[in-house]
Formats: sequence, structure tokens, C-alpha cells
Amino acid sequence: MATNYGQDRELRQQRAQVQSRWMEVYAPIRHLDPVLVLTALGLTAIGLVAIYSAKLVALSAQGLPPTTYVSRQLLALAIGVLVMVVVAVVDYRVVRVYAPVLYVVSIVLLGLVLSPLGTAFGGAQRWIVLGGFQLQPSEMAKLAVLVVVAALIHESEGQPRAGVVLACLVLTLLPTGLVFLQPDLGTSMVFVWSTAVLFLLGGVQARYLVGLTLSGVIGVIVALQTELIQDYQLSRLTAFLGAGDASAAQTAAFQTRQSLIAVGSGQFAGKGLFEGTQTSLSYVPENHTDFIFTVIAEEFGFLGGSVVLALLLVLVWRGLRIAILAKDTFGTLVAGGIVAILTLQVFVNVGMTVGIMPVTGLPLPFISYGGTSLIVWFAMIGLLLNIHMRRF
Amino acid sequence: MALPSSESSSSVLRLTFLAVLVITLFLALFARLWFLQVLAGDRYVELADSNRLRTVVTEAPRGAILAADGEELVRNRPALAISADRQVLLDATGAPVNAEAERVIERLAELLEIDEEEVIERLGSQRRSPFRPVPVAVDVTPEVVFTVQEQRELFPGVVPETLPVRQYPQDTLAAHLVGYIGEVSQEELLDPAFADYRAGDLVGRMGLEQSYEADLRGTAGERVLVVNARGDVLDVQRDREPVQGNDLVTTLDLDLQQATEQLLEDGIIASRSIRRDDGQLLPSTAGSAVVLDARTGAVLAMASYPSFDPREFVGGVSRAYFESLIEEDSGDPLVNRVIAGTYPPGSVFKTATGAAMVEGGHITPRGQVECAPAFELGGNTFRNWNRGVNEGMMDLSDALMRSCDTYFYELAFDQWLAEENAEEPDEVVIDVAERFGFNQRTGIDLPGEIAGRVPGRQWREEYWLARRDSYCQQAEAATAGSRAEELFTDLCRFGGAWRGGDAVNTSIGQGDVIATPLQVAASYQAIANDGVLMRPHLGAEIRAPDGTLIRAIEPEEFGSLELSDQTLAVIREGLERTVMEARGTGESAFTGFPLDQIPVAGKTGTAELRPRVPFAWFAGYAPADDPEIVVAVNVEEGGGGSQTAAPIVRNIMAHHFGVVLADEAEFEAGDEILD
Repeated sequence: MATNYGQDRELRQQRAQVQSRWMEVYAPIRHLDPVLVLTALGLTAIGLVAIYSAKLVALSAQGLPPTTYVSRQLLALAIGVLVMVVVAVVDYRVVRVYAPVLYVVSIVLLGLVLSPLGTAFGGAQRWIVLGGFQLQPSEMAKLAVLVVVAALIHESEGQPRAGVVLACLVLTLLPTGLVFLQPDLGTSMVFVWSTAVLFLLGGVQARYLVGLTLSGVIGVIVALQTELIQDYQLSRLTAFLGAGDASAAQTAAFQTRQSLIAVGSGQFAGKGLFEGTQTSLSYVPENHTDFIFTVIAEEFGFLGGSVVLALLLVLVWRGLRIAILAKDTFGTLVAGGIVAILTLQVFVNVGMTVGIMPVTGLPLPFISYGGTSLIVWFAMIGLLLNIHMRRF
Repeated sequence: MALPSSESSSSVLRLTFLAVLVITLFLALFARLWFLQVLAGDRYVELADSNRLRTVVTEAPRGAILAADGEELVRNRPALAISADRQVLLDATGAPVNAEAERVIERLAELLEIDEEEVIERLGSQRRSPFRPVPVAVDVTPEVVFTVQEQRELFPGVVPETLPVRQYPQDTLAAHLVGYIGEVSQEELLDPAFADYRAGDLVGRMGLEQSYEADLRGTAGERVLVVNARGDVLDVQRDREPVQGNDLVTTLDLDLQQATEQLLEDGIIASRSIRRDDGQLLPSTAGSAVVLDARTGAVLAMASYPSFDPREFVGGVSRAYFESLIEEDSGDPLVNRVIAGTYPPGSVFKTATGAAMVEGGHITPRGQVECAPAFELGGNTFRNWNRGVNEGMMDLSDALMRSCDTYFYELAFDQWLAEENAEEPDEVVIDVAERFGFNQRTGIDLPGEIAGRVPGRQWREEYWLARRDSYCQQAEAATAGSRAEELFTDLCRFGGAWRGGDAVNTSIGQGDVIATPLQVAASYQAIANDGVLMRPHLGAEIRAPDGTLIRAIEPEEFGSLELSDQTLAVIREGLERTVMEARGTGESAFTGFPLDQIPVAGKTGTAELRPRVPFAWFAGYAPADDPEIVVAVNVEEGGGGSQTAAPIVRNIMAHHFGVVLADEAEFEAGDEILD
């Protein structure tokens, strides 16, 4: 077919136009998930109000400005949004490549926590103080373990063999053990859970799954027998069942009881903002962190609690959608893993405040006071956005 | 997705599995929230309120109980007490909450000089409200209070306080009348009548403390506090000051009350050294006396022997003392025998039956009946008390003076015959006795009054129906031809019949008649008061703590004898002659009494309650021509009425009229055999 330069050029121009239109259509920035971002921001806003209400009276009584916690949380939000943008911009496949680095950094930090550099509070050593900021490395480690395990499974191209499974297990159990020593039973459970879900989603053979579950159960029994789990942890775990050692379980039983009273007395429509007596009179301990849901449930009732749960479900829905749309196994695994971690934390945290789960220190994502947690959750939103934007 | 299609579908499957799991978990949370907040929300609202609101109750000082002249019988005195907050020191199981609490209890025990277990026991008493400090020791020395105040850091949760405590300025005087107070019981707290009582509240348990509870109690102060989790008080939601209870002014004559108690006790004890015909000493186990105002029915004095010490009940009675009051051979000192002693009235009942015979139309007041030694009825011999002497023709006045049984037997039998022949028997004895105040509670303002009984056809029938089966069984079981078989067979078949013998026994206050000393006194009050029966009462006025009159308790008419003037006059004449004529059965007891200045009317009674020694009765009034007081005395197993009861009445009257004051009085027994 005869062609001339002019035609060629015209064709090239046409092709370039089509290409740029294509590029425009497929530009990652055009594939943001606004529902995901807005929902996360909405939950954070609700969390800020709840934190303010939870600490209003207590802080005033101490002569501190009532916005003490809120302003710190706002700062964390700003950082979180920044982190989210950065994480969303860099192609997530790059994240996959650097996953081992992230993992190693997390492990080092977890090690530092347990070293004399770590800070203890309330009987648990969970923090590193950096220039006036308390960093909670176990929150970062959640993300690191998720990414590194997902990368490993991704490498095995849908057929993870025994060696890969074993490697994943080792990579998971190392931070699990370190966090467990802090001690933070709740967060160490998250590592195990997220890897288990990744095994499920990543196509690990059923016999391995069954075998691992069995050895997990045996492991728990052994842990109980050998008193690897400290007494207070055990009694906190059993307190909500009304069982266990009376004196040791008292604190947990008190927390659960006061929490139930707060939630139940909120009734359908709640007592109104700042009107929660259980909240303002400090009957529920830790009601700006682990028990933040009681503030919402008491002051905004079943309606308010349902809105929060519904918004969290929206995140789950968007996350699962992204997992399905993802263009590679890594994307699917990371999105699915984030959904799994979110669900576990919501269920354990809210379940604890309504008395169907034991008292373990897991924050409610986006809502609970805690900078590291909020930043890491926005990083996860960034990752989800990233996977969503680059799904073609 | 970049996965091969088979892989892809498997991946979607796995994601769907995850989605189902996630949604299930969320649904569980929604369901639980719905249950807690919507279905069970009300309960948690209550719990939240009980968390945040603390009610602190300040007990109101109880009102005083005063004698008629304003002298205090019972009052409050402030007592230094050491109380402690149970919630600070004890956990739910009643054990010290921690080592610190244990040390506080240890120190407290040492300070109060009691055992640690005792401290814990008092502190943990479930009868005390947990929301206010529990008194651990009442009536402590000022030094103990000082120690606690000065070393507060050693005694967290321990507070010294001043509690109002019942005090008895007259010691044991009128113990049965004032009664005592005690903590409200668990059962009472469940009773709607005690709706405004809380655990640990005091409530009148006996006597006037009980019957005037509503007036004496006052209103407790109440502060409803809003507290936070640490127990800091943030706000006062409601504040109500305690209102002191009102005072009760009684009709009691303090001096006469003292005298009556003393003379009753002296008389009972002295009579125990009297030897009867059969050589045995009189048991005189117990007794009671009551003095009424003849015109108003007001109780001027009331005594029951043996008695108890109400001071022992202050701050909670000890088990040992309480058991000593209720054990079998204690003589039931807690029973006020004037209102709860149930006795056959014997001859003091003859005023009522005598009036009934006139009302029944069998005789006129001056009509005469032969006072034979005995009355024969259906093979049974009903003897006169005087053992075989025919005293000749008698009218009602003579019959009362001589207490002639056969006069009443004969008329009662006539009445019974008339009733038997009537279509609808008019049981005039019951009717007239009720006009005298028998067969019913007088309604005195004391708890625990007994109604007594005047038997008749209906009562007999009901009584028999309740026991017929037992009679019939005993008849079956008895040996053939024995006396028992005959008796029980008769009872089984005809036990429901009101027989002539029943009527005859009733006419002299025996058989199944039961009356309290108060009823007897009231019946003589009606005679003394020209036929108007006044309701006996102890309360006179309710006064506010500052003395202003809240309410006057007016004397109340309880009934009327509805007898003709002549009948009443003849009865009064008979009663006067009983005391003032040489042949009168009560005469011997009043030897030396200035009857010319203070004429006395009365009636002896010797109630048979075989196999026990007879119960002595005397009821009368003085001055006979213008009655002021009515006195009735009963001595259980005290022998003859003229022997034991009449001398006590005489001494009470002598004291009242200033003839011989109680302190100088001697008990001089009257003649034994006189009825």
C-alpha cells in the first residue's frame, strides 16, 4: 500500500490523538475512588467529634483545653492524607518491589520498642517516642506483613508451594511474636488473621489451610497450658463470658459492664451530643481509644452506631470491589487483606464494646484516638486507591 | 485480572467467601446493637442512672413520746457514732476490697476494741443501705471520734457522725406502751405499705412507736448527687432537708403509771407467799393493770408484768437479750397482757350477763331469784362458789354483791329455753355483752389487741364443724363403753348444739368466754359513765417539734349500754355494795380505805381455768358517786379476785386519791374464798 509522508504524518497525528485520548481516559488520576476517600474522611470526622465528646469533661477537669486530643488527631489526619496521596501516586508494583524494605524497617522498629528505647504505658511497651510524637510500630507492621506476604504469594503465580507458605509463616510469626511480647494480644492476632486470609485468597491448597488451622488451635492450647499468655490477658479474654479469676477479671468485667450500660442506654436515637452520662462522667475507661464506639452509641444511639457501621461497610464494599478489579494477584491480595484487617478490627473492637468479644486493645479504624493507627489506615486507603487507579 | 480464567473464577469464589464472612460479622454487630439499644435499652437507662445518681439520706430525728404533763417518756439524744462506707472497704462478696481496706478495718477494730470479724459483719449487714455510711459503733467516746478526725489518712471511708438515738428518761416505765423501734425488715421492704422505707430505716415495732409511726417518723432528708466514675460529686440534683417527726402527747399520768407498775409488781410478788387452802403457795405468774379516765376512756396508766427494758433495743437488740424475752419460761414479757392477755372473765362478766337477763325480760332489776347452793341441769350440778349455803332470795344488786352464781344460772337457763323455743333465737347475752365492749376489739391505739369472744350458737357451730372429724375419730378409737367413747360420740353427733350448760357457764364468765383486761375495764367505764362506753385511747395530741398543736386526738364514743336508768342504777348499787357492804365479796380488800370519803364500786372475779390455779380479777371505779377513774387488775394464777386482785386495785386507788402513796403501800391480801 502506497503511503506518503503526508499521509503518514496525518496517521501519526491521528494515532497520537487517539493515544492521548486513551492516555487521558486511562490516566490513573482519572480513576480515583471518591466514595472510598470520602467515606474514610467521614469516619475520621465522626471520630474527631467522638474524641472531643469523650474527653471534654475529663480534660476540663484537669484544666486542659478540651481540644487537646482532637488537635493531635487532626495533625495525624493531615499526615495521614499526605501519606495516602504519596502511597497512591507511586505505582503499587513499586511498593511490591520495596515490600521487603518496609518489612525489615518494621521489624527493626518493633525490636526497638522492646529495647530500652521503647516507651511503656499501662503495663504494655508499645511505643517509640520520636521528637514529641509517639510512634506505634505495630500499626505499621500490619501493613508491612500484609504487603510482604502478598508479594511472596504473587511471585508464586497463583500456585504457592510449601516453601512459599513456610516463608510467609515465618515472616508473619516474627512480628507476631514481637508484638505479643509488648504485650499486645489484639494486634498480634491481626498478623495471623491477615496472613490466613491471604493464604485463602492466594490459592494455597486446602490441605495446607486445614493443617495450619489445626496447628494454630494446638498452638493456642499449648500457649494457655504453658502460661505463655499472661494471666491478665487470659482473664480479660474470659471476663466477658463471666468466667475466670474474679479479682483479675474485675477490671475487664467493669469495663465491659460500663460499656454495655453506655451502649444500651443510648437506646434508638441516643442521648444527644455531649449528653452521654456514661461518657462525660468517665464511667467507661479508655473511651477515646479502644472504647470510642461507646461514645457514639450512647450519644447517637442505634442510629449513630448503625451509620458508623454502615460507613465501615462501604469501605469493605469498595475494598472488595477493588480486589476483584485489580489487575494482578498482588493487587487482589493487598485489597482483600486490607478488607480482612478492617473487618477483624471492627468486629473485635465493636464486639468488645457490646459484650460479644473479649476485651483486647484493638482500635476502631479511623475513629479511635491514635495517630499511628490513623496514618496507617490512610496509607491503606492510599494503597486501595493505587490498585484501583492502576487496574487496566 | 491478569490471572488465567480458571484461576480467575477460583479467585472470585475465594473473594466471595471473604465477602460473605465479612457481611456475616457486620450483621452480627447490627443485631447485637439492636438488641442492646432498642430491645434492652430501658434496662440500661436505669443502670446508667443508678451509676450516676447517688441518693444520700439523712435520717429525720424521730418525734418524742410524752406523758400528759409533757414529761418525756421517749426522746432522742444525739449519739456519737463511727460509720464507714461499705463500698470503699468491702467488695461484693463482703470481704475487704484490698490490703489497704484490710488495714483500715484492722485499725478500726483496734480503736473500737472489737473483733475485725465483728467490724466486717456490721459493715456488711444487708439490712443497711450501701449508699450511706453504715454505723459500726454507736455511743463511742469523743476520743474515738477525735482519733478518726485527726488521722483521716489512716481511716479512708470512715466517718464520725452524730446519730439520733432513742432515749428513755423514765427507764423501763411504760415499756409495753411506748414499744421500741427496729430496722425495717427485708420482707417489709417488699411490702407496698413500706414503699417509702429504705434498707436501714427504723420503724416502730410495738406500742405507740408502732401505732403512731406516721406521726413520729418525720421525713428523711434526701440529696440526690451526680457523681462521676471516681465518686467525685459534680452536682446536686435534688436536696431536701430532713423534717423532724412530730411529738406524741399521751394521756398517761406519769405518776400514776409509776405507781401502777410498782403496785402491780409488789402485789404479784407479795401474793406469792400466800398459802392456799390446799397448802400450796399462790403461783401468781403474771398480771396486768389498767387505769382509765371514767369519763373519756383515756388510759391513765397501763401495766403488764413481767416487763422488759426498751433501752436494750436501742441500736439493735442483742440476740441474747431478745432470746431471753421469748424463751419458754420467760413469762412472755413482750406481751402487753392488758390488750393481749386472753382470760375467762369470770364474775367480773356478771354485770354484762345480769343486764342481759333484764334486757331478755326474764326478771326486773328488783325481781328476786333464790340463791341456791347449786343448779341442776340434765344430770349436771352447777354449784355456787360458796359451797353449799343457801343465801335466800336475791335481786340483781344482791347477786352482784354476793356474786351469786345460781342467780345467773337460773336466769341464763330461762333465756336459753326461750331462745330454743324461738324461731330465730335472739341471743341477748351476746348482744348486751357487745354493748359493754366485749367480743370485739376496743380499737385502742396500740397494736396487737385481741378481740376476745362471747360464745353463742354460731360460734359453737363453726367451732364444732372445724373439729367434728377429730371428735368422730376419737369416738371410734375409744374403748367401747368407756366415758371417753360416750363423750366423743356425743360431741361427734351433737357437738354443734348450743346447750343449756353452755348458756349457764357463759352467764358467769366461764366456759368459752374470753376477754382482755382492757375490755373488762372498758365495760366498767361504761357503767361508771352512765352507760356511755368510750373508746380507750393513749394518744392525746400530736405536736410539732416546736410545740405547736398539729392534731388533737379527741375522746371517741365507742358504744352505749342502752340500759334503763333503773337497771344501771341497780348494777351500780350492786357494785358499790360489793366493796362497801360487809357481805360484799370485795369488802375485805378495802378494809381501812376511807370509803366514806371516796366510795368505791367494783366486782371481784375468780376465773377457773383448770387445772391451773384460778385467775384473780377485780374491776371497779371510784368515787362511786362521781367516778373519776376505772381500774381493772388481773393476776394470772393469783387465786381469788378478792384475795389478790382487789388489794392491788385498792392500792392503786389509794395512791391516786392520795390516801396512801405507792411508796408506802403494803399489799394486804383479801379473803381467799370470796369469789
